[in-house]
Amino acid sequence: MAEKIKEVISRNVWKENQVLRQILGICSSLAVTNLMTNSLVMGLGLTFVTAFSSLTISLLRNAIPHRIRMIVQTLIIAAYVILVDIFLKANMTDISNALGPYVGLIITNCIIMGRAEAYAQKNPPLISMLDGFFAGIGYTVVLLIISLFREYLGFGTIFGFDANFLGFETWTIMVMPPAAFFLIGALIWITSNIFAPGKGKKS
Amino acid sequence: MKKGRIYTVVFMLIVSAVFTLLLAGADAFYRPKIEENDLLAERTAILYVFDLDQSGSSAEILERFEKNIKQTSVSGVELYEYASAEGETIAWAVPFTGAGLWGSISGYMGVSPDLDRITGLVFTNHSETPGLGGRIDELTYREQFRDLQITAETTLAYGEDGGGQIDAITGATSTSNAVLRILNQLLDDTISKLEVANNG
Repeated sequence: MAEKIKEVISRNVWKENQVLRQILGICSSLAVTNLMTNSLVMGLGLTFVTAFSSLTISLLRNAIPHRIRMIVQTLIIAAYVILVDIFLKANMTDISNALGPYVGLIITNCIIMGRAEAYAQKNPPLISMLDGFFAGIGYTVVLLIISLFREYLGFGTIFGFDANFLGFETWTIMVMPPAAFFLIGALIWITSNIFAPGKGKKS
Repeated sequence: MKKGRIYTVVFMLIVSAVFTLLLAGADAFYRPKIEENDLLAERTAILYVFDLDQSGSSAEILERFEKNIKQTSVSGVELYEYASAEGETIAWAVPFTGAGLWGSISGYMGVSPDLDRITGLVFTNHSETPGLGGRIDELTYREQFRDLQITAETTLAYGEDGGGQIDAITGATSTSNAVLRILNQLLDDTISKLEVANNG
Protein backbone atom coordinates (compact mmCIF):
# COMPACT_ATOMS: atom_id res chain seq x y z
CA MET A 1 0.00 0.00 0.00
CA ALA A 2 2.78 2.43 0.94
CA GLU A 3 4.45 1.73 -2.42
CA LYS A 4 1.18 2.41 -4.17
CA ILE A 5 0.63 5.69 -2.36
CA LYS A 6 4.15 6.81 -3.23
CA GLU A 7 3.48 5.94 -6.84
CA VAL A 8 0.20 7.90 -6.81
CA ILE A 9 1.93 10.95 -5.35
CA SER A 10 4.91 11.04 -7.67
CA ARG A 11 2.77 10.28 -10.72
CA ASN A 12 0.15 12.94 -10.04
CA VAL A 13 2.29 15.73 -8.69
CA TRP A 14 5.29 15.28 -10.91
CA LYS A 15 5.64 12.64 -13.62
CA GLU A 16 2.18 12.96 -15.10
CA ASN A 17 1.27 16.38 -13.77
CA GLN A 18 -2.21 17.16 -15.02
CA VAL A 19 -1.42 20.62 -16.30
CA LEU A 20 2.16 20.26 -17.49
CA ARG A 21 2.20 16.71 -18.82
CA GLN A 22 -1.44 15.95 -19.60
CA ILE A 23 -2.28 19.53 -20.64
CA LEU A 24 -5.57 19.38 -18.77
CA GLY A 25 -7.22 22.18 -16.80
CA ILE A 26 -5.48 24.84 -18.88
CA CYS A 27 -8.50 27.14 -19.00
CA SER A 28 -8.54 27.87 -15.28
CA SER A 29 -4.73 27.89 -15.10
CA LEU A 30 -4.81 30.82 -17.49
CA ALA A 31 -7.71 32.57 -15.84
CA VAL A 32 -7.14 32.67 -12.11
CA THR A 33 -3.36 32.85 -11.84
CA ASN A 34 -2.82 36.60 -11.56
CA LEU A 35 -3.03 36.48 -7.76
CA MET A 36 -1.59 33.76 -5.55
CA THR A 37 -4.53 33.82 -3.13
CA ASN A 38 -7.01 33.15 -5.93
CA SER A 39 -4.83 30.38 -7.31
CA LEU A 40 -4.55 28.74 -3.91
CA VAL A 41 -8.28 28.81 -3.28
CA MET A 42 -9.04 27.58 -6.79
CA GLY A 43 -6.48 24.79 -6.36
CA LEU A 44 -7.87 23.75 -2.99
CA GLY A 45 -11.42 23.85 -4.34
CA LEU A 46 -10.42 21.62 -7.23
CA THR A 47 -8.45 19.30 -4.93
CA PHE A 48 -11.48 18.92 -2.68
CA VAL A 49 -13.80 18.20 -5.60
CA THR A 50 -11.42 15.76 -7.30
CA ALA A 51 -10.72 13.87 -4.08
CA PHE A 52 -14.34 13.48 -3.03
CA SER A 53 -15.78 12.84 -6.47
CA SER A 54 -13.12 10.16 -7.00
CA LEU A 55 -14.01 8.65 -3.64
CA THR A 56 -17.74 8.68 -4.35
CA ILE A 57 -17.39 7.35 -7.88
CA SER A 58 -15.08 4.61 -6.68
CA LEU A 59 -17.52 3.62 -3.93
CA LEU A 60 -20.31 3.40 -6.48
CA ARG A 61 -18.16 1.95 -9.25
CA ASN A 62 -19.71 -1.52 -9.16
CA ALA A 63 -23.25 -0.17 -8.93
CA ILE A 64 -23.01 2.41 -11.71
CA PRO A 65 -24.45 1.02 -14.95
CA HIS A 66 -21.68 1.25 -17.54
CA ARG A 67 -23.81 3.00 -20.12
CA ILE A 68 -24.70 5.98 -17.95
CA ARG A 69 -21.45 6.24 -16.00
CA MET A 70 -20.50 9.60 -17.49
CA ILE A 71 -23.82 11.17 -16.56
CA VAL A 72 -23.43 9.88 -13.02
CA GLN A 73 -19.86 11.17 -12.83
CA THR A 74 -20.90 14.60 -14.01
CA LEU A 75 -23.76 14.67 -11.52
CA ILE A 76 -21.47 13.79 -8.63
CA ILE A 77 -18.81 16.29 -9.70
CA ALA A 78 -21.41 19.02 -10.14
CA ALA A 79 -22.83 18.37 -6.68
CA TYR A 80 -19.43 18.81 -5.05
CA VAL A 81 -18.67 21.92 -7.09
CA ILE A 82 -21.92 23.52 -5.99
CA LEU A 83 -21.01 22.69 -2.41
CA VAL A 84 -17.69 24.51 -2.83
CA ASP A 85 -19.47 27.45 -4.46
CA ILE A 86 -22.00 27.75 -1.63
CA PHE A 87 -19.22 27.47 0.95
CA LEU A 88 -17.14 30.22 -0.69
CA LYS A 89 -20.16 32.50 -1.06
CA ALA A 90 -20.97 32.15 2.61
CA ASN A 91 -17.51 32.31 4.13
CA MET A 92 -15.12 33.95 1.67
CA THR A 93 -17.13 36.56 -0.20
CA ASP A 94 -14.13 38.45 -1.62
CA ILE A 95 -12.55 35.36 -3.08
CA SER A 96 -15.91 34.15 -4.34
CA ASN A 97 -16.31 37.45 -6.21
CA ALA A 98 -12.76 37.32 -7.56
CA LEU A 99 -13.11 33.77 -8.83
CA GLY A 100 -16.57 34.56 -10.16
CA PRO A 101 -17.73 32.09 -12.78
CA TYR A 102 -14.58 29.98 -12.57
CA VAL A 103 -15.77 28.09 -9.49
CA GLY A 104 -18.80 26.88 -11.42
CA LEU A 105 -16.48 25.98 -14.26
CA ILE A 106 -14.61 23.49 -12.06
CA ILE A 107 -17.39 21.15 -13.21
CA THR A 108 -15.97 21.19 -16.71
CA ASN A 109 -12.36 20.90 -15.57
CA CYS A 110 -11.07 17.88 -17.45
CA ILE A 111 -8.81 16.84 -14.58
CA ILE A 112 -11.72 15.68 -12.43
CA MET A 113 -13.50 13.78 -15.17
CA GLY A 114 -10.13 12.43 -16.28
CA ARG A 115 -9.32 11.02 -12.86
CA ALA A 116 -12.86 9.64 -12.53
CA GLU A 117 -12.70 7.82 -15.87
CA ALA A 118 -9.06 6.79 -15.79
CA TYR A 119 -8.71 5.81 -12.17
CA ALA A 120 -11.68 5.93 -9.80
CA GLN A 121 -13.86 3.85 -12.11
CA LYS A 122 -11.46 0.90 -11.77
CA ASN A 123 -9.79 1.23 -8.36
CA PRO A 124 -10.77 0.87 -4.70
CA PRO A 125 -12.11 3.96 -2.86
CA LEU A 126 -9.23 4.99 -0.64
CA ILE A 127 -6.51 4.94 -3.27
CA SER A 128 -8.88 6.66 -5.72
CA MET A 129 -9.43 9.45 -3.24
CA LEU A 130 -5.67 9.85 -2.81
CA ASP A 131 -5.24 9.81 -6.57
CA GLY A 132 -7.81 12.58 -6.94
CA PHE A 133 -6.32 14.49 -4.04
CA PHE A 134 -2.79 14.46 -5.42
CA ALA A 135 -3.94 15.23 -8.94
CA GLY A 136 -5.48 18.35 -7.39
CA ILE A 137 -2.29 19.10 -5.46
CA GLY A 138 -0.26 18.81 -8.67
CA TYR A 139 -2.63 21.28 -10.29
CA THR A 140 -2.41 23.63 -7.29
CA VAL A 141 1.38 23.57 -7.34
CA VAL A 142 1.50 24.54 -11.00
CA LEU A 143 -1.04 27.32 -10.44
CA LEU A 144 1.00 28.64 -7.55
CA ILE A 145 4.23 28.63 -9.56
CA ILE A 146 2.58 30.54 -12.40
CA SER A 147 0.86 32.98 -10.09
CA LEU A 148 4.05 33.56 -8.11
CA PHE A 149 5.68 34.90 -11.27
CA ARG A 150 2.62 36.77 -12.40
CA GLU A 151 1.81 38.38 -9.06
CA TYR A 152 5.41 39.22 -8.18
CA LEU A 153 6.28 40.71 -11.55
CA GLY A 154 2.86 42.22 -12.12
CA PHE A 155 2.04 43.71 -8.71
CA GLY A 156 5.32 43.36 -6.79
CA THR A 157 3.50 41.38 -4.11
CA ILE A 158 3.39 37.79 -2.86
CA PHE A 159 0.06 36.63 -1.43
CA GLY A 160 -0.88 40.31 -1.31
CA PHE A 161 2.14 41.32 0.80
CA ASP A 162 4.47 43.91 -0.64
CA ALA A 163 7.69 42.16 -1.62
CA ASN A 164 9.10 44.54 -4.19
CA PHE A 165 12.44 45.00 -2.43
CA LEU A 166 14.29 45.60 -5.66
CA GLY A 167 12.00 48.49 -6.49
CA PHE A 168 11.45 47.46 -10.10
CA GLU A 169 8.68 48.79 -12.27
CA THR A 170 5.79 46.27 -12.27
CA TRP A 171 4.84 44.72 -15.60
CA THR A 172 1.20 45.25 -16.36
CA ILE A 173 1.27 42.50 -18.96
CA MET A 174 1.94 39.93 -16.23
CA VAL A 175 -1.50 40.57 -14.74
CA MET A 176 -3.18 40.30 -18.10
CA PRO A 177 -4.15 36.98 -19.72
CA PRO A 178 -1.26 36.79 -22.27
CA ALA A 179 1.32 36.38 -19.50
CA ALA A 180 -0.28 33.10 -18.46
CA PHE A 181 0.22 31.78 -21.98
CA PHE A 182 3.93 32.63 -21.92
CA LEU A 183 4.45 31.12 -18.50
CA ILE A 184 2.49 27.94 -19.04
CA GLY A 185 4.20 27.52 -22.39
CA ALA A 186 7.60 27.94 -20.78
CA LEU A 187 6.79 25.51 -17.97
CA ILE A 188 5.48 22.89 -20.37
CA TRP A 189 8.61 23.33 -22.48
CA ILE A 190 10.90 22.86 -19.49
CA THR A 191 9.04 19.84 -18.12
CA SER A 192 8.83 18.09 -21.47
CA ASN A 193 12.57 18.51 -21.82
CA ILE A 194 13.03 16.83 -18.46
CA PHE A 195 10.66 13.94 -19.10
CA ALA A 196 10.82 13.35 -22.80
CA PRO A 197 14.06 14.84 -24.09
CA GLY A 198 14.33 14.64 -27.83
CA LYS A 199 10.74 13.55 -28.28
CA GLY A 200 9.05 15.43 -31.07
CA LYS A 201 12.31 16.11 -32.89
CA LYS A 202 12.22 15.08 -36.51
CA SER A 203 15.24 12.76 -36.41
CA MET B 1 -21.92 -7.05 -15.04
CA LYS B 2 -24.91 -6.49 -17.30
CA LYS B 3 -27.58 -4.28 -15.84
CA GLY B 4 -31.16 -3.98 -16.97
CA ARG B 5 -32.95 -0.86 -18.09
CA ILE B 6 -35.10 -0.60 -14.99
CA TYR B 7 -32.03 -0.83 -12.81
CA THR B 8 -30.41 1.99 -14.79
CA VAL B 9 -33.41 4.28 -14.38
CA VAL B 10 -33.88 3.51 -10.70
CA PHE B 11 -30.18 3.98 -10.04
CA MET B 12 -30.14 7.37 -11.73
CA LEU B 13 -33.23 8.47 -9.81
CA ILE B 14 -31.76 7.44 -6.47
CA VAL B 15 -28.38 9.08 -7.14
CA SER B 16 -30.09 12.29 -8.28
CA ALA B 17 -32.36 12.33 -5.24
CA VAL B 18 -29.50 11.79 -2.79
CA PHE B 19 -27.32 14.52 -4.24
CA THR B 20 -30.19 16.96 -4.64
CA LEU B 21 -31.05 16.44 -1.00
CA LEU B 22 -27.44 17.00 0.00
CA LEU B 23 -27.26 20.29 -1.92
CA ALA B 24 -30.63 21.47 -0.66
CA GLY B 25 -29.40 20.84 2.86
CA ALA B 26 -26.17 22.79 2.34
CA ASP B 27 -28.09 25.63 0.73
CA ALA B 28 -30.59 25.84 3.58
CA PHE B 29 -27.75 25.79 6.10
CA TYR B 30 -25.79 28.61 4.48
CA ARG B 31 -28.74 30.67 3.19
CA PRO B 32 -28.89 33.17 6.10
CA LYS B 33 -25.14 33.79 5.92
CA ILE B 34 -25.21 34.33 2.15
CA GLU B 35 -28.16 36.72 2.46
CA GLU B 36 -26.26 38.64 5.12
CA ASN B 37 -23.26 38.91 2.77
CA ASP B 38 -25.51 40.09 -0.06
CA LEU B 39 -27.05 42.76 2.15
CA LEU B 40 -23.60 43.94 3.19
CA ALA B 41 -22.46 44.09 -0.45
CA GLU B 42 -25.56 46.10 -1.39
CA ARG B 43 -25.08 48.56 1.46
CA THR B 44 -21.37 48.96 0.74
CA ALA B 45 -22.29 49.70 -2.87
CA ILE B 46 -24.70 52.43 -1.78
CA LEU B 47 -22.06 53.94 0.50
CA TYR B 48 -19.77 54.05 -2.55
CA VAL B 49 -22.40 55.90 -4.58
CA PHE B 50 -22.51 58.59 -1.89
CA ASP B 51 -18.70 58.64 -1.68
CA LEU B 52 -18.84 57.62 1.98
CA ASP B 53 -16.15 55.54 3.65
CA GLN B 54 -16.64 51.85 2.80
CA SER B 55 -13.87 50.45 4.97
CA GLY B 56 -14.11 48.75 8.33
CA SER B 57 -15.80 45.63 9.66
CA SER B 58 -19.25 44.62 8.49
CA ALA B 59 -20.77 45.93 11.73
CA GLU B 60 -19.16 49.34 11.17
CA ILE B 61 -20.36 49.47 7.58
CA LEU B 62 -23.92 48.62 8.54
CA GLU B 63 -23.85 51.17 11.36
CA ARG B 64 -22.55 53.91 9.05
CA PHE B 65 -25.32 53.00 6.63
CA GLU B 66 -28.03 53.18 9.31
CA LYS B 67 -26.73 56.53 10.54
CA ASN B 68 -26.61 58.34 7.19
CA ILE B 69 -28.95 56.64 4.79
CA LYS B 70 -32.61 55.76 4.76
CA GLN B 71 -34.85 54.06 2.25
CA THR B 72 -37.62 56.34 1.11
CA SER B 73 -39.82 57.25 -1.79
CA VAL B 74 -39.68 60.55 -3.64
CA SER B 75 -42.57 61.28 -6.06
CA GLY B 76 -43.19 57.59 -6.48
CA VAL B 77 -39.56 56.63 -6.99
CA GLU B 78 -38.16 54.16 -4.48
CA LEU B 79 -34.64 55.27 -3.56
CA TYR B 80 -32.05 55.64 -0.83
CA GLU B 81 -31.59 59.07 0.65
CA TYR B 82 -28.37 60.35 2.16
CA ALA B 83 -29.14 63.15 4.60
CA SER B 84 -27.05 65.24 6.96
CA ALA B 85 -27.63 65.12 10.72
CA GLU B 86 -29.92 68.16 10.33
CA GLY B 87 -32.12 66.23 7.94
CA GLU B 88 -30.99 68.03 4.80
CA THR B 89 -30.81 65.80 1.74
CA ILE B 90 -27.28 65.50 0.38
CA ALA B 91 -27.91 62.98 -2.39
CA TRP B 92 -30.18 60.23 -3.65
CA ALA B 93 -29.23 56.77 -4.87
CA VAL B 94 -31.66 55.63 -7.53
CA PRO B 95 -31.76 51.92 -8.40
CA PHE B 96 -31.73 50.83 -12.04
CA THR B 97 -32.02 47.63 -14.03
CA GLY B 98 -31.65 47.24 -17.75
CA ALA B 99 -30.55 44.91 -20.49
CA GLY B 100 -26.80 44.45 -20.82
CA LEU B 101 -25.08 42.37 -23.46
CA TRP B 102 -25.69 38.94 -21.88
CA GLY B 103 -28.09 39.58 -19.05
CA SER B 104 -29.56 42.38 -17.04
CA ILE B 105 -27.36 44.95 -15.37
CA SER B 106 -28.53 46.48 -12.12
CA GLY B 107 -27.05 49.01 -9.79
CA TYR B 108 -27.44 52.45 -8.29
CA MET B 109 -26.79 55.92 -9.59
CA GLY B 110 -26.36 58.71 -7.10
CA VAL B 111 -27.64 62.20 -7.95
CA SER B 112 -27.55 65.43 -6.02
CA PRO B 113 -30.99 66.78 -5.02
CA ASP B 114 -30.53 69.69 -7.47
CA LEU B 115 -30.09 67.06 -10.18
CA ASP B 116 -27.05 68.87 -11.50
CA ARG B 117 -24.48 66.23 -10.60
CA ILE B 118 -24.04 62.45 -10.61
CA THR B 119 -22.47 61.59 -7.27
CA GLY B 120 -21.43 58.06 -8.17
CA LEU B 121 -22.28 54.92 -10.06
CA VAL B 122 -22.22 51.30 -8.92
CA PHE B 123 -23.27 47.96 -10.37
CA THR B 124 -24.67 45.39 -7.99
CA ASN B 125 -25.41 42.65 -10.46
CA HIS B 126 -24.45 41.88 -14.04
CA SER B 127 -23.37 38.94 -16.16
CA GLU B 128 -21.04 40.67 -18.62
CA THR B 129 -17.95 38.89 -19.95
CA PRO B 130 -15.26 38.76 -17.25
CA GLY B 131 -12.23 40.77 -18.31
CA LEU B 132 -14.12 42.64 -21.04
CA GLY B 133 -17.59 43.97 -20.27
CA GLY B 134 -17.09 42.83 -16.69
CA ARG B 135 -14.62 45.67 -16.33
CA ILE B 136 -17.52 48.07 -15.76
CA ASP B 137 -16.98 47.01 -12.15
CA GLU B 138 -13.50 48.46 -12.12
CA LEU B 139 -12.99 51.81 -10.45
CA THR B 140 -11.26 53.29 -13.51
CA TYR B 141 -14.56 53.02 -15.34
CA ARG B 142 -16.93 53.88 -12.53
CA GLU B 143 -14.93 56.80 -11.16
CA GLN B 144 -15.51 58.62 -14.47
CA PHE B 145 -19.09 59.17 -13.35
CA ARG B 146 -18.12 60.53 -9.96
CA ASP B 147 -19.23 64.20 -9.70
CA LEU B 148 -20.15 64.33 -13.37
CA GLN B 149 -22.09 67.54 -14.10
CA ILE B 150 -25.50 67.03 -15.69
CA THR B 151 -28.51 69.12 -16.64
CA ALA B 152 -32.11 68.17 -17.32
CA GLU B 153 -31.26 67.85 -21.02
CA THR B 154 -28.07 65.82 -20.60
CA THR B 155 -27.71 62.70 -22.68
CA LEU B 156 -24.59 60.87 -21.61
CA ALA B 157 -22.18 59.98 -24.41
CA TYR B 158 -18.65 58.67 -24.64
CA GLY B 159 -15.65 60.53 -25.93
CA GLU B 160 -15.96 63.85 -27.68
CA ASP B 161 -19.74 63.62 -28.07
CA GLY B 162 -20.02 63.75 -24.31
CA GLY B 163 -17.46 66.50 -23.86
CA GLY B 164 -14.61 64.03 -23.34
CA GLN B 165 -15.62 63.27 -19.78
CA ILE B 166 -16.32 59.55 -19.99
CA ASP B 167 -14.70 56.83 -22.06
CA ALA B 168 -16.03 53.44 -23.11
CA ILE B 169 -14.14 50.24 -22.35
CA THR B 170 -11.94 49.10 -25.21
CA GLY B 171 -13.08 45.74 -26.53
CA ALA B 172 -16.40 45.95 -24.75
CA THR B 173 -18.40 48.30 -26.94
CA SER B 174 -21.72 46.52 -26.53
CA THR B 175 -21.56 46.53 -22.75
CA SER B 176 -20.35 50.14 -22.65
CA ASN B 177 -23.21 51.23 -24.89
CA ALA B 178 -25.71 49.20 -22.90
CA VAL B 179 -24.64 50.96 -19.72
CA LEU B 180 -25.13 54.40 -21.25
CA ARG B 181 -28.49 53.37 -22.70
CA ILE B 182 -29.63 52.23 -19.27
CA LEU B 183 -28.34 55.39 -17.60
CA ASN B 184 -29.86 57.72 -20.18
CA GLN B 185 -33.18 55.98 -19.84
CA LEU B 186 -32.89 56.33 -16.08
CA LEU B 187 -32.20 60.05 -16.47
CA ASP B 188 -35.18 60.49 -18.81
CA ASP B 189 -37.75 58.33 -17.08
CA THR B 190 -36.93 58.40 -13.40
CA ILE B 191 -34.57 61.19 -12.51
CA SER B 192 -36.81 63.66 -14.36
CA LYS B 193 -39.65 62.74 -12.00
CA LEU B 194 -37.48 63.76 -9.09
CA GLU B 195 -37.07 67.15 -10.74
CA VAL B 196 -40.81 67.68 -10.74
CA ALA B 197 -40.88 66.79 -7.06
CA ASN B 198 -38.06 69.21 -6.41
CA ASN B 199 -39.72 72.20 -8.07
CA GLY B 200 -43.22 71.51 -6.87
